[in-house]
Amino acid sequence: MRTIRFLVITGMIMSLAIFTEASRVLAQDLGASDAATLKEIQREMREMRAERKRDRELIQKLEAKVDGLEKGSAKTQATTEQLKTTDEKLQATTAALQQTTAQVKTLQAKVDQPIPAPDFSEAFNRYLGSHTFEITGAAAGNFIYDQQSGALNDLHHASQNSFFFDWEPMILYRPADWILFEGVFDAGFGSTGTGMDLSIADFQLFLNKYMTLVAGLYDQPFGDWYENQSPMWVNRFITAPLPFGNEAIVPPSELGLQLRGGMQWGTLGQDFDYTVWGGNGPNFSEAVPGAALSGPTSAASAQSNGKSIGARLRIYPLPLEWEMGRLELGASTYNGKWMNGNWFNSWGVDFNYFKDNLQARGEWIESYRQMPNGVPTDHREGWYVQAGYFLNDVNAPFVPRQVNDYIHRLEPLIRYSGVNQHAVATDDIVAATGVGLGGTQIGLVPDFGINGSPALYAPHSREVALGLDYWIAPSIVWQNEFDIELPHAGGVFVSSTGAQTPAGAIPNDRAFLSQFTIGF
Amino acid sequence: MKKQVAAFLLMTATLGSVGGLARADQQMTPAEHRRLFLKGAELWPVYCNQCHNARPPSEKAPVEWNAIIMHMRTLGNIPPDDAQALLEYLKSGH
Ligand code: HEC
Repeated sequence: MRTIRFLVITGMIMSLAIFTEASRVLAQDLGASDAATLKEIQREMREMRAERKRDRELIQKLEAKVDGLEKGSAKTQATTEQLKTTDEKLQATTAALQQTTAQVKTLQAKVDQPIPAPDFSEAFNRYLGSHTFEITGAAAGNFIYDQQSGALNDLHHASQNSFFFDWEPMILYRPADWILFEGVFDAGFGSTGTGMDLSIADFQLFLNKYMTLVAGLYDQPFGDWYENQSPMWVNRFITAPLPFGNEAIVPPSELGLQLRGGMQWGTLGQDFDYTVWGGNGPNFSEAVPGAALSGPTSAASAQSNGKSIGARLRIYPLPLEWEMGRLELGASTYNGKWMNGNWFNSWGVDFNYFKDNLQARGEWIESYRQMPNGVPTDHREGWYVQAGYFLNDVNAPFVPRQVNDYIHRLEPLIRYSGVNQHAVATDDIVAATGVGLGGTQIGLVPDFGINGSPALYAPHSREVALGLDYWIAPSIVWQNEFDIELPHAGGVFVSSTGAQTPAGAIPNDRAFLSQFTIGF
Repeated sequence: MKKQVAAFLLMTATLGSVGGLARADQQMTPAEHRRLFLKGAELWPVYCNQCHNARPPSEKAPVEWNAIIMHMRTLGNIPPDDAQALLEYLKSGH
């Protein structure tokens, strides 16, 4: 650019010099003899000068333009350069950030290793070679105080408090890279003293990429609760939400077969999964409306009704690269004949969202149970929504660092749950009533995961649960829960003969629970 | 007898085609291991936090993760490629 300008200017100066010189020579040569010619020449020169002036102006203008353009391009260049450095800086920051994240993760991993791998299972692994024999599970001890403010259906009520302990050891055995056995025992000291129960025992056969066969006794894969949220260290609360507690809407477990699998349908993070299953089918405590659902039975007589079938689909719509967390949307159905030709049908939808310190989940379930002898359908609905927020990043001002370290481990929680049903079977309530020393009825009793409030048996039960978890490690937690029972009026109680009495006054109880839980 | 042999062969072939996670392990180059590890590290905080707090790699021995990742793959119906990446990440932390 500069060279061009230089050439143009030099050229102009030269032509100007040549021109001036030429006119001078011409004027001398001609002398004053031919004034007319001179005048003519002078006129021509004036014209030429004017032209030159115009040219010069034009060139100046062009120069200015060129200058401007140059400046502009310099600016662009500067901007580009700036952009480059910013980009480089950004890259460096990203790298640093990545490094820091990795460091934080490693640190977190280091800090969060509370329990070394059990020596016993390591020894066993050596013995078994490449086979894995793994003992995990969970244990928890808790204290429950339930303030029973009123009677329910004339049952005795009394505020009570008690300690409980529960241990749920799990064995995983992996004889080959496509076979896994899982067995879970439930051993506890609860309201009826010590007891032991087999809660899960199944084989998991990884048939191919998209199909896993599960055979045995398993948590009901309906919705999210039984299968994924019920283990003690997994549940953010101590109690179950109402639709999964004493007045369950779908059976908690099943004995049968499942086929399940998952795949990515979009970019990384966008998954889809299915579970279909069949088993022994739903089982009720009595043939009256509102009777409690129980676990699966192996009694052949109970299976003459035919088997159950269930299906659950879940979709995860958020790509990982969006960094918007993980969202799961699910839909489930479970159906089977519960007695002779009478069907039990249920369906539900659920969601689960997790991002950074926030987690929220909820489910809605409806069930319909055809009743014998012209009794109207036993229709139930239940739901819960809950949310929790880790105070990981919250720094309270003006307090010592140590205090903030404690605060960072806290997770405040809130949950609202409810069940609607026309009737509740009194026999189920009586079964939940304890008998104290000296044979006196002590009212509904708390037990592991249940606060024992009579209000839980109201046909239209509602509960607000507030929680405060103190996390010591990812699976070691001290949980505190405050339950506020707010049942709605209405509904009936049904005796085993089918006689109905209105539910009447419903107590508004309060309960406090505190539990120390370890997941192995 | 021939039928029995044929049946045996067929069975072996069927079982041989089942999708384990560890099988691919043996034929992987270091670069592939690295790629899987990075993918696993990316997935871990998101996938493993979905149902419960993410359990860090250091909590369990590699041989234990073999069994646990199968258990989690069942519960979460985690796509097998992702499960393998997660396993690679988890096993490297001990
Ligand atoms: C779909 C939900 C879900 C996902 C996703 C999930 N887990 Fe789990 N995880 C569970 C449940 C439920 C249990 C408790 C099982 C029980 O006690 O019956 C569990 C238990 C565990 C345990 C204890 C040992 C065991 O096998 O029970 C470990 C360790 C664990 N998970 C690690 C992980 C890791 C690592 C990931 C990520 C790859 C993961 N989980 C993803 C639901 C999930």
